[in-house]
Amino acid sequence: MRNNIPTAALSEFVNEVAQTPEEGLMSYGIEIDWESGTRTRSQTKPMLVGPHRVSRSFEWKADEPRQLMGNNHGPNPQELLLSGLGSCMMVSFIAGATAEGIQLETVKLDFEGVLDLRGFFGLGTNAPIGFPEISYTLHVTGDAKQEDFEELHRKAVLHSPNAQTIINPVALKGDIICTAVKA
Amino acid sequence: MPDKPILGDAKSRAATRSMDGWLQDLDRKRQSGPTLGDAHAGAMGLSTCAVHAGTHDDPRTGAVGTPIYQASTFILNDDQYSAVEEGFARDRFIYSRYGNPSQWAVQEKLAALEGAESSIVFSSGMAAITATVLALVDKGAHVVASSDLYGGTYNLFNQEFPTLGMSATLVDSHDFDAIEAAIRPNTQLLYFEVITNPVLKVVDIPRLVDIARRHKLRLVVDSTFAPPPVMRPLEMGVDVVIHSASKYLNGHSDLIAGVAAGPRKLIDMIWPRLLNYGGSLDPHACFLLERGLKTLSIRMRAHEESATALATFLETHPTVDKVLYPMLPSHPDHALAKKLMKMGTGNVTFFVKGGDQAALRLLDHLRLPKQATSLGGVESLISLPFNSSQATFTARQRAAIGIHPGCVRLSVGIEDAADLIADFDQALAAISTQKDRAHA
Repeated sequence: MRNNIPTAALSEFVNEVAQTPEEGLMSYGIEIDWESGTRTRSQTKPMLVGPHRVSRSFEWKADEPRQLMGNNHGPNPQELLLSGLGSCMMVSFIAGATAEGIQLETVKLDFEGVLDLRGFFGLGTNAPIGFPEISYTLHVTGDAKQEDFEELHRKAVLHSPNAQTIINPVALKGDIICTAVKA
Repeated sequence: MPDKPILGDAKSRAATRSMDGWLQDLDRKRQSGPTLGDAHAGAMGLSTCAVHAGTHDDPRTGAVGTPIYQASTFILNDDQYSAVEEGFARDRFIYSRYGNPSQWAVQEKLAALEGAESSIVFSSGMAAITATVLALVDKGAHVVASSDLYGGTYNLFNQEFPTLGMSATLVDSHDFDAIEAAIRPNTQLLYFEVITNPVLKVVDIPRLVDIARRHKLRLVVDSTFAPPPVMRPLEMGVDVVIHSASKYLNGHSDLIAGVAAGPRKLIDMIWPRLLNYGGSLDPHACFLLERGLKTLSIRMRAHEESATALATFLETHPTVDKVLYPMLPSHPDHALAKKLMKMGTGNVTFFVKGGDQAALRLLDHLRLPKQATSLGGVESLISLPFNSSQATFTARQRAAIGIHPGCVRLSVGIEDAADLIADFDQALAAISTQKDRAHA
């Protein structure tokens, strides 16, 4: 099985979704609880793969380093953001390579980003609050030519849901439910 | 270009690919099978399917019927290597644990009988159940199943599930409110038996299908007590149907086998579990199962005929307290049975006066039925739940699922009804005389 992805099953699923679009609707959710200080615990909620429920029993923690008033008990939210972005681009790249018949040997994504906390602190400068730029390097070895890998990279980013979420404006709809607790 | 004869399902081919497209250009679509040939008896009547579906005469010699492909491994060529690389090894012959023509033949016949796109045979019903259940659950999953499951299935949920970090809630299969109440956010699967053992409760499968759909769950049923001439659960909307093929499907009490049938998508998800857990069926057993299946329809008619006559006789006998046979009006689920079952089966459960001791004496006096567990064979088989299938239960636990003292589990074979009735008549007379003497 090339790259340990069953191309036949991938092709069958793509064709199934073309015929039955609801099978291609993935619903996700996570719950994040504040634990202490800057530390949070995230848990996946059951996922819907089309009209079928799938148990997702995973949890992880996020924290800030001590210099940012945390205890350094986990990756911080920016690292998790880059991880979610890069892992998604990786799936896209691997799926695309497999569909094109490219056997991969190694693939590594190396991400970097610089945040200027003056934005978060509200120090009144022109510093953007979020990442102004995210940069990465893709290291790949496999049985394709340089130009084929470059074209695959372009298409992988173009079809990566998380890359497209980062690149394009996305509506963030929030709600709040408050309960006042008497001291 | 080397010659690549296709050793397997010729209509299954790799997706064509180009370097300038994306995933939408992949053109391989899911199809039923795998199959050895084009002839498909699936649209014909059940008896015709039982005889012809999946049975492909030997093209080399003209021998009628499926040869026994008693081989562990197959000569490989470029096409098979490519099938492995492209991820459709299930459609080629590579190694018998993955697939074998003897397996394919009987799988195609079973799929046609169940109205399924695909099926897999296993080395036992439990191998089919374990592979199917574990294919359809994920880490942390929860299953809702019936409280009077077959013991082997109960052990899967009770002994193995907690070790795997999964859980199951067992509920009365007639209590739909309790079934819905047991569903949790991490529930993935409903697992039920269409007719329960030994009290032959008929389960309302269409209502379970409705619950499963509303909660976005998969529904798997064990239809061992209702083979295709009796019920075809996939037509009612069930996702996967499982059988212990050792029972009615094979019908001759001479092999252990199982089957899971359903949409190709789900059976393809079960196939890797067959590979990982290793419950593949030997080619010779496949041949026996295929031969047994050819007479499924006429055997079921004979089971029904003799069982109906015997159940009716037992119901009128003064030494018998109660008879449970779904096709008799006295059965609590008779109306549902008439709705869901196309015909009766050979399973009759009854209660003799005098409790378990009287039941034990009855078994000793019977000459035709074999005192053995299992069911669905051509010979009548008889056993007592209290010392066999439900021996680990307390009397109170047995009573909770309707197994009261004197409960006898009978699988009526295809013997002449008159001979069976005569045998039960003499045996019941013998135990009632003994009882009278004991009380004198």
